[in-house]
This record gives sequence, structure tokens and C-alpha cells, in this order.
Amino acid sequence: MPNIPFRSDQVVEELVQFNQNLSKGVKNLLDAEEISAGVTPREEVYAEDKLKLYRYQPSTGVVQNKIPTLIVYALVNRPYMADIQENRSTIKGLLNTGQDVYLIDWGYPDRADKYLTLDDYINGYIDRCVDVMRERHGVDKINILGICQGGVFSLCYTTLHQDKVKNLVTMVTPVDCKTPDNMLSHWVQQMDIDAIVDAMGNLPGEMLNWTFLNLKPFQLMGQKYVSMVDIISDEKNVKNFMRMEKWIFDSPDQAGEAFRQFIKDFYQDNKLVEGGLKIGEHEVDLKNLKTPVLNIFAEQDHLVPPAASKILPKLIGSKDYTELSFPGGHIGIYVSGKAQAEVTPAISDWLNQRS
Amino acid sequence: MSDNNSWAEPWFKAQQQFVDAWSGMAKGSKSASQADLWAQSFDMWRKACEGKTQPDMELAMRKCMDMGREYFAMAEQISKAMSSGANPVEAINQWLEQMKQSLQQLSGMPGFNVSGVNDFMKQWFTPNASWQEMVAGLTPMNQAMWQMPGMNTSVFNLGEMIDPLGRVLEAPGIGYFREPQEKQQKGLQLALEYQEANYNFNQAFLRVAMESIQGFQNHLVGLEGEHIPKTLRELYDLWVEVSEQHYAEFAMGEEYQTLYGDMVNKLMIMRRHYGEIVDDNLRALNLPNTREIDTMQERLQQLRRDNFALKKEIKEMQATLAQLAKKSVVATPAPAKAVAAKKAPIKKAAVKKTAMKKTAVKKAVAKKHTRAKAGA
Repeated sequence: MPNIPFRSDQVVEELVQFNQNLSKGVKNLLDAEEISAGVTPREEVYAEDKLKLYRYQPSTGVVQNKIPTLIVYALVNRPYMADIQENRSTIKGLLNTGQDVYLIDWGYPDRADKYLTLDDYINGYIDRCVDVMRERHGVDKINILGICQGGVFSLCYTTLHQDKVKNLVTMVTPVDCKTPDNMLSHWVQQMDIDAIVDAMGNLPGEMLNWTFLNLKPFQLMGQKYVSMVDIISDEKNVKNFMRMEKWIFDSPDQAGEAFRQFIKDFYQDNKLVEGGLKIGEHEVDLKNLKTPVLNIFAEQDHLVPPAASKILPKLIGSKDYTELSFPGGHIGIYVSGKAQAEVTPAISDWLNQRS
Repeated sequence: MSDNNSWAEPWFKAQQQFVDAWSGMAKGSKSASQADLWAQSFDMWRKACEGKTQPDMELAMRKCMDMGREYFAMAEQISKAMSSGANPVEAINQWLEQMKQSLQQLSGMPGFNVSGVNDFMKQWFTPNASWQEMVAGLTPMNQAMWQMPGMNTSVFNLGEMIDPLGRVLEAPGIGYFREPQEKQQKGLQLALEYQEANYNFNQAFLRVAMESIQGFQNHLVGLEGEHIPKTLRELYDLWVEVSEQHYAEFAMGEEYQTLYGDMVNKLMIMRRHYGEIVDDNLRALNLPNTREIDTMQERLQQLRRDNFALKKEIKEMQATLAQLAKKSVVATPAPAKAVAAKKAPIKKAAVKKTAMKKTAVKKAVAKKHTRAKAGA
């Protein structure tokens, strides 16, 4: 073993420092008020069951894109990730660069929603939200921006309703769910999804949390809290940290039937790649997708490895395909300063050129 | 918080004690576990503040305390070894050997009780511990069952208990209550199967955790230059990095996939079975059960789908009718004289009216908050 330059007094000093940081930070922890997330003003324009469609207040003083954009978030976790704080908001970035932004908030499904299928979500909820937007703006087609699982839904929706979608942006979207580096996919291959849904009705959010945290347990359940001590003496840092914590543990249950189909068709049978995917009565063949596509993925994404997204151009029929690779992780692509500077303007540029 | 003094004084007193104790230990004095002392002072302070913080903060503080305790356990062991004359390399090795020993003891014990494991090494079993917590939350009806003799694998030896219980479970059902008895027997059998799957999952973790210590030692041997940790924190971060790599290799392997899949499946099969037993009991009491509610929900959902489809069709038909009506108006010829006399003003008025209507509709649409009535 090489010479490790530790001294007893240095170790003690380090610990005392650790404790002092903690002492300074405790007041911030105690004084912190309830953490709010979602910062940009918005109005509810449509509601159905637990779904709400929001329109964000457009920015003044910028040239507006006449084609509105609908953000379709995943059913997993909550959509305020895209608008988590004032200086870290994908939505604000889009507004400031001229987009008219709508977002679907799926709410928190309960047992009454157990029989919602992917068909209900995609050809039902999403389609009706799209129609509301088309009617409000008097346009035939709108732009869609799908995030993670919402990207998968958006791909299916656009393939089936191309007459209503002008441009499609997919962000950190799993298309090939069986790449060799996909831990999440690896874990579900031997799971009896029918037994899970039959036993639980809806899939509890706690189970999803367990799964996500255990993809990197030493970092996500250990190191993070040791490192927290370094930053809690700053009130702002405490709030930002807690905002992320709130989001991480804010996991809605998953409607049973939709979860059953999603895991079986996408993660176990990889039907977007292998073929044979049906949403309701409609077959989804990505070859039929001719809409312009901007596909964005994160190079250090441990939930959706880049390879899972990068296969998309080989599967779709669109001749207008653009790719954007972001040097960050699954969450960093929304909340990092770099993402605000690079990703959001790139999306807006791409949309403005095609609207 | 309005009253800062209530928590600040005991906290700072505890901190002073903590600093004194650590300084004493650095000078070689023997005292109680510093990690425990630190955790106790933190916990005491946290309890004093309970209910005064936001729930999210409470959770973060608890996690912070747990991790702090583990971090301090590492520091304490290394510091103790160094204050006894070991050089840093020897001290780190002693620390790692202690962790190995505590895991070896666990592997030789029946069941899977990590309470005796080295505090720092408990991090390796966070997935197992959090799994247990989650399962406890999801299967409250089974909590009492785990306390039955023979059911708690953290206390009893799973292998030893399965045999005698197995014989009881295989006893044929008799009489009027044959079916419920068989269902209960099957339930216990499924619970045992889940426990066994959980045990196998935990044992695999234990083995990989032990291998990871050796892996960390090997990693340290190969370090050069700037990669050598210079502070306790750097050592900790390196340990996290190496452990995460070991864990990832394990988690991406076939063994993990099989063990994890088996554990989840057995849990769900057991839970489904107990759900059926509860349903039977509710039916016997003439109370609605899950099966009945499921049937109603499924029918309701289908009705909602049909309703939406019909609404869409009606809308399309209305649009078609409106178009047809327009066409028929255009196609119907008006008397020639009347047209000649009044055509222009009428058209102008009509256009004006239509334009006004359109504007009104547009305004209404822009302001309108649409609420789709449930399936209506």
C-alpha cells in the first residue's frame, strides 16, 4: 500500500470542522420553511380526472413561436423537475426564448385509476390535451416535448397522430430498453409483472423510489448526506438541496394496468425496437413517424443510458432528425447551469426553425 | 424558529464535549465510542427540535445523522489505531480487517441481523434495510405474522425452521373448514418461500460486501501520486467509488437478476394470496371486497372510454351536419327580385354578424377553463 499522509491531529481537525459545519447549518435546517417547487406562473386551462393541463405565462418582449409546445412528463416522479427553481428551470428557459409552453401534470393516481391503460394515457389524455391546445391557438399541429417515459408516450402519440404534431422533441427517452448497460432493465427481466400488479393494484411510489435509489446506493443514500454537511451553512444551498430531496421522494403510485403494459412491452419485450407494439387497437411502428425529431440524451445518464436513446434514428421514418448529446446526468439535463445555457436554447432554436 | 435558545444551548454543550473527547482521544486517552457520543448528541438535539421542523427537513436530518454516525465510526477506528502507534496504512488496514471480521461473524450466524455489523459497513446493507422497511409498509397485515415463532429469519435459522413447519403445512385439511385451512397453510408456505428468497438475496449481499473490502484493499495498493487520499474525506469518497463499482458489477450480473426477481415475485405471490384470503373473509361478512371493486372499476373505465368515443363521434357528426347545412344554404336559389334588391346589405350584415360571433367565440375560448366531466 502506498504511503498515506494522515496525521492524528489532522483527522481530528477534519472531524471538528465537519461538526462545526453541521453546527452552522442546523439553524438553516430548522429555520427552513416548507419547500416550494415550481416557480413559473401558470394557469390551469384544462382538467380531467387527476390530470391538469397548465399553460405557463409567456415571456413578454420576445418573439413568440406561434406553435405552442406541450411538455409530456413521465408518470414517474413529478413534473416540477422542469421548473424546480428560479435559475434552474427548463420551462423558464423555453419561455424566455419564445416558446408558448403547456405541461401535463398527471397528478397522483389512486385505486380508482387502476384500470387506466397506456391507450387511455396516450390516445385519451394526451390526445384531448393536444386538441384543447389546437383549438385554443387555432392551429392544426402543435409541438411536443416528451421527457423520459413521457418521451416514449410522445413517440407513440406522434406516430399515431402525425396530423396533430408539427415537431417532436424527446429528452432522455428510453427507446431500446435492453442495452447491456441498462441496470433498471436488467432488474426487471425476471420479474413477474402480473403478480406485482395483481398483488398491489397500483405500483406504490415507494417501490419505485427503492429501485431508483438502489441503482447507486452508496452515492444516493450515503455520500450525498455526508456532502450535505459541506453546504448547509448557506441558507440558499439548504433550500436547493431540500428541493431536490422533495422531488426525489415525491413519487406518485403508478396506475396498475399502464404499469403492467409499460414494463412488459417496453422493458421486457422491447417492442419499440423489436416491433409488435400496440397501443389500444393501434399498432405503433416507428417507421411511420415522419415528423421532425430532436433527440436529446445525457452522456452520464444512469437511468436511461445514452445507447437507449441513440438508436432512434435507425427506427423512425423521419428524414429530419437532429441529435443533442449533453455531458451530464438524467437530472442534470434539467437542473444544471450548463443545461440552462446549452440545452434549452438549442431546443428553442430547433423549434423556431421549424415552426 | 422563534425560540433558538431552547435547542442551541444543549447542542453547543454537546458539541464542546464532543470536541474535548476527540482531542483527548488524539492524545491517547481511552473513552467511550466517539461515533456514539456524536450520534447521541445529535439525536438529543434532533429530538428537542422534533415537531418544530418541516417533515422533509426531519427526514433529511435523520439521514444526515445516520450517515454522520457511519462516517464518524470510520474516523474513530482509524484514529484509535493511529493513536495506538499504527501508521496510517496500518490504521486503514486495521479498520478494513475489523469490517471483514464483523461481516464474517454475520455470515456464520443464523438469519440476517445486521445490528452487530460494523457501523460503517452497514452502508453495504442499505438496500436490504430499506427493502425491509418498504415491505413492512406494503404488507402491514403480515407484520404480526413475522413475529410468530419460526417466522422471523433475523432471529431463527431459516433452514432449521422450514422442516418442522413444512410438515405442519403439508398436513391435509379436514372437515368443513378444509378450504380455509388449506389457504392458510398455503399462505404460510408462501411466506416461508418469500423469507427464503429474501435470505438468499441478503446472503449474496453479504458475500459481495466481503469481497468489496478485499477489492478496496487491492485498489489502495495500486494507487499512485495524486490519487492517494490525503484526507479522511478523500478516503471515504474513494471507498464510496470502489464500493459502488463492486455493487454495480454485482447488480448487473445474472445472480442479482435471479435473486432479486425471485424475492420480488415471492413477495408479490404471497401478498396476492393473503389478499384473496382477506377477500374471502370480507365476502363472508357481506362486505365489499377487492374483487368486486375491481370488477366495478373495470366496467366503469370501459364505460368512460365508450363515453369519450361517443362524444367524439357526436362532435364529428355535428361538424358534418353544420357543413351540410352551410352547403344547402348556398345551394338554395333565392327569388331573383329580392336578391337584386337586398343582396348587398344582407350579405354585409351577415358577414358582420359572423365576424362578431367569431370574435366572441375566440375570446371565450381563450379565457375558458375547460373541465371535462368524468366520462361525460
